[in-house]
Amino acid sequence: MNPSVSEDDQQTSETVESSSEVTSGSNSKGTTELNLKIEDGMKRATVKDRIEKYFYQLIDGCGNEKCSNEHCASSGKVATLSPNEAAGMALKLWKSSAKLCDPHPSKIARTNTDECKATAPTTSSSSSKASTPTDNVVANSTNTSDKDEDSHSSSSSQNKTSTVVTSKTDEPPLESKGPKKTYLTEKKLRAVIEECASLNNYTQLRSILFEVFSNQDLLSQSFCKPTTPPEQQLPQDEQRTQSSSGQGAGDSQLAEGSSSSQSGPARSSSAGSMEAELTLDLESVRRAYDQLFALPAVEFENTLIQALVTLSEYINVLLKCGGSSALNLDSLIHVFLVIFEIPILGSCEYVERLLPKICKAASQLPLVAQTRIAKIWAMHCKQRLKTILEALQQLITIKTLSNHYHKDYILQDEETITCPTKIMKILFYANILAGDLDPSSLRDEPQETEQPSHESIFGVDIPSSKSQFKLIYEDSLGKLLQVNVLDARKPLIPFLEFYNEPLSDAIEMDRDFGYYRTSEELSMEADCASSSRYSKFSFMYYSFILTPATKTLGLYYDSRIRMYSGRRFSYLQSVVGQPTNPYLKLKVRRDHIIEDALVELEMIAMENDKDLKKQLVVEFEGEQGIDEGGVSKEFFQLIIEEIFNPDYGMFCLQSDTQHMWFNQMSYESDAQFTLVGILLGLAIYNNIILDVNFPMVVYKKLMGKRGSFFDLEDFNPVLFSGLTELMDYEGNDIEDVFMQTYRISFTDPFGSVLSHDLKPEGDSILVNQENKQEFVELYADFLLNVSVEKQFKAFRRGFQMVTDESPLGLLFRPEEIEQLVCGSKIFDLHELEEATEYDAGYTGDTPVIRWFWEIVHEMSHDTQKKLLQFTTGSDRIPVGGFSKLKMFIARHGPDSDRLPTAHTCFNVLLLPEYASKEKLQDRLLKAINYSKGFGML
Amino acid sequence: MAATRRLQKELKEMQECGLKSFRDVHTDENNILSWTGLIVPDNPPYNKGAFKIEINFPAEYPFKPPKINFKTKIYHPNIDEKGQVCLPIISAENWKPATKTDQVIQALIALVNDPEPEHPLRADLADEFLKERKKFMKNAEDYTKKHSEKRPSD
Repeated sequence: MNPSVSEDDQQTSETVESSSEVTSGSNSKGTTELNLKIEDGMKRATVKDRIEKYFYQLIDGCGNEKCSNEHCASSGKVATLSPNEAAGMALKLWKSSAKLCDPHPSKIARTNTDECKATAPTTSSSSSKASTPTDNVVANSTNTSDKDEDSHSSSSSQNKTSTVVTSKTDEPPLESKGPKKTYLTEKKLRAVIEECASLNNYTQLRSILFEVFSNQDLLSQSFCKPTTPPEQQLPQDEQRTQSSSGQGAGDSQLAEGSSSSQSGPARSSSAGSMEAELTLDLESVRRAYDQLFALPAVEFENTLIQALVTLSEYINVLLKCGGSSALNLDSLIHVFLVIFEIPILGSCEYVERLLPKICKAASQLPLVAQTRIAKIWAMHCKQRLKTILEALQQLITIKTLSNHYHKDYILQDEETITCPTKIMKILFYANILAGDLDPSSLRDEPQETEQPSHESIFGVDIPSSKSQFKLIYEDSLGKLLQVNVLDARKPLIPFLEFYNEPLSDAIEMDRDFGYYRTSEELSMEADCASSSRYSKFSFMYYSFILTPATKTLGLYYDSRIRMYSGRRFSYLQSVVGQPTNPYLKLKVRRDHIIEDALVELEMIAMENDKDLKKQLVVEFEGEQGIDEGGVSKEFFQLIIEEIFNPDYGMFCLQSDTQHMWFNQMSYESDAQFTLVGILLGLAIYNNIILDVNFPMVVYKKLMGKRGSFFDLEDFNPVLFSGLTELMDYEGNDIEDVFMQTYRISFTDPFGSVLSHDLKPEGDSILVNQENKQEFVELYADFLLNVSVEKQFKAFRRGFQMVTDESPLGLLFRPEEIEQLVCGSKIFDLHELEEATEYDAGYTGDTPVIRWFWEIVHEMSHDTQKKLLQFTTGSDRIPVGGFSKLKMFIARHGPDSDRLPTAHTCFNVLLLPEYASKEKLQDRLLKAINYSKGFGML
Repeated sequence: MAATRRLQKELKEMQECGLKSFRDVHTDENNILSWTGLIVPDNPPYNKGAFKIEINFPAEYPFKPPKINFKTKIYHPNIDEKGQVCLPIISAENWKPATKTDQVIQALIALVNDPEPEHPLRADLADEFLKERKKFMKNAEDYTKKHSEKRPSD
């Protein structure tokens, strides 16, 4: 919808003054009522803005000495007016569309008429920057404390005339008669509250709240730190933030090449201004809110919301029309930070009335400002993030469920959904920044360049086709923050909480995908910032809010569209006389499945690797099955089974984690690993779930991030805890205790022990307190990256041959990719029950055993996992399912109060023969919920 | 090999300290990751014999714990028929790389001398141990006499 207000619009909305309902039906034939409302809101705000301009012009003048406008104070033709008279006059002028001086002074063009004459002409030439924090604070002398807060549109600004008081943050003493029209501080607010409480009349509080919270300048001067605060940034953050905020304040555009150099020269100067320390005293804001919200809500809530709605609308217009150059971003950021601190942002009134407006205004902030908010949130508002997130989720959920969407009006058109989603992205990145981060250096640069030009994927030269793939997707906000989802080792709030299920259920992914494609195409032509203005909103860019199931749909549409276009193209070719196959057809023999698949895929990759993106059709030789999905499923199942069989030698099984890992001693050629990569890609592409059990680090590496020390936790938990012990060891005798050198040893898949020097002459370098960090990093790097580099590279190359153009990296995080490949790991405990054996007097028919399984089957998924963890030491299903897991349940004496115990070494659960099911349940749950680790209970 | 440095030192210390209850510590010439030794318990019913054990160190030692196996059959609630023993100090969850092998051996000897029926590997023996101590003692003693190694003379 069009934000700018035309002349026609103004005339239709004459009823602005009453501000309740604007009826402008004449120019809105096709639009729905909701659109209308929004448009009206905007119109109202624009109109309000204009009236204010008239108002200031009457009171203060445009500042031009030679002004000849009879309605401008600067021309000297205007009689001195009281604010109320001026307001009335302004309204008349607006109705008659009287002349407005140019350049329009912003709302706070404030030079007292008297003073104006006194000052030199040069000083008042441009008054649009009056809102910098250093500026003088305007205090008021005209007491209009009894003004009605509902006639806000102009009254909020009426009081800003008169004397200029150069007061510091030490607020002037509060006079009992009439409030000061200034910014708020914690102290002042408390004083007002106390006074109002003693009078039991909160009019004064309401009036001051309205005044401050509806005015950008006053609010942005409120709650400042008393003096220049010391540098607040944490060292870790500092590293990241220092040079990150890109171009100048007003410039929301991203220079295309700026990502290539991490600390380009262009970044330093303008960045400095944006990184200026936070003048807002958040602690003070919180205390002030605490006081305020301790009051009965009726006394102030409506006023506060009303004020903020007014303010949001104003800012919204400012950002939309103002052009970015004139904005005072610091002031805006300050305002938004204060607003988002409201403690009960998630409560009904605020979500319904206020939050949509704020989100709309805030979502229009230029990227640099969003970046800065994200950083401040991450640094100073960790406790708030969750509340804000919940409020946003609530708003989105309400709007998703309460509106009726149809063909011409879908979710993506609803601003009260898209804007909060945009704010959520800021929050999403703040959440990443606030959590544990891996250094961004672990991200792989696309490695295409470093590969030899005579690249031979299958031992044959491949016509090098791919330019650069975008496997690591970079969001523009993330880019400015220099952070990527992949860097998040442990976000502050789990990513799962960003999913919005009602939205994910309601969204029409095909439409969304269409919007995504359109904007992708647009961004090919122009740079992203300008294109985003014309393109429709697509949730694909906000994938954090979508559940994996919905995202899978996005991927599905992508792959289908590619497949169909592949098919259409080949049809065209066949017309021209160059027949090609519209499908990716594999013909294999059952007993030579790997060899045949390898040869076929080799041919395809050699001739035209685009063919890999066609729909897969498999045929087993000598069989008549037509592949409608079933045959290829069987094909995947068979080939995966064979390839991952440790006896085949490509992968080995890690016994304690049940993970498959690359066999670094493999004699197989790279081509084999490329084949596995292709298969994995094809499985995702063709929506087939595979029975593979890779450690998470494989998916991280596939998405373009190297394995690091913390990935060992999942990869090899025992080693990880051993190395963590080393890291935690503080003693000076570390060399004597560990006697560990830079030479490490490991067992190869054939059982022989090999050693490796992490550094040249590693055997002579002892690990000590100084170098232990480096040691564990090198150790992890060796295990996860170096030792399998050759195999993994081939594997990844295959994967990318299939997925290089898909939005996989945009949509999915590594853990979601795993889910995509393996399906969600819901385990069938009946299978476990079948496979369990009993010992020491128990049988499957013993009452306590029957109770046991009844209880287990009723457990929640998480509890079942815990039970599995408790009994076997791992919550993973072994390859081949539960039947491969030999669990024993042994009798552990007669009924007693003892808890069940377990020997994870041998999957034994020791169960006393409890007298009742209730007791068993109680004991069992206690045991699995409270017993962490090993030992004697 | 990397682990050798520490293991060699530990082996040397172990051989030199002259523990009465753990002796004859040997290692394969080619593989220092595998040790054998003789447990000589003091408490009845196991003081009628000696028990051969094998300690296997992983390549990642000391970051991963060693494993202990009884080569001599033993009638003990905490050691199963295959000779596997569940010793908390060397479990994956509890393992501390700073733990020395002699501490592990001490823990093992303590466990052999004083069974812990609360955490049995053989629930039947634990039951017997708790309820029919006399019967258990007799069975264990007979078993020890029948299966165990000869105790060293000194």
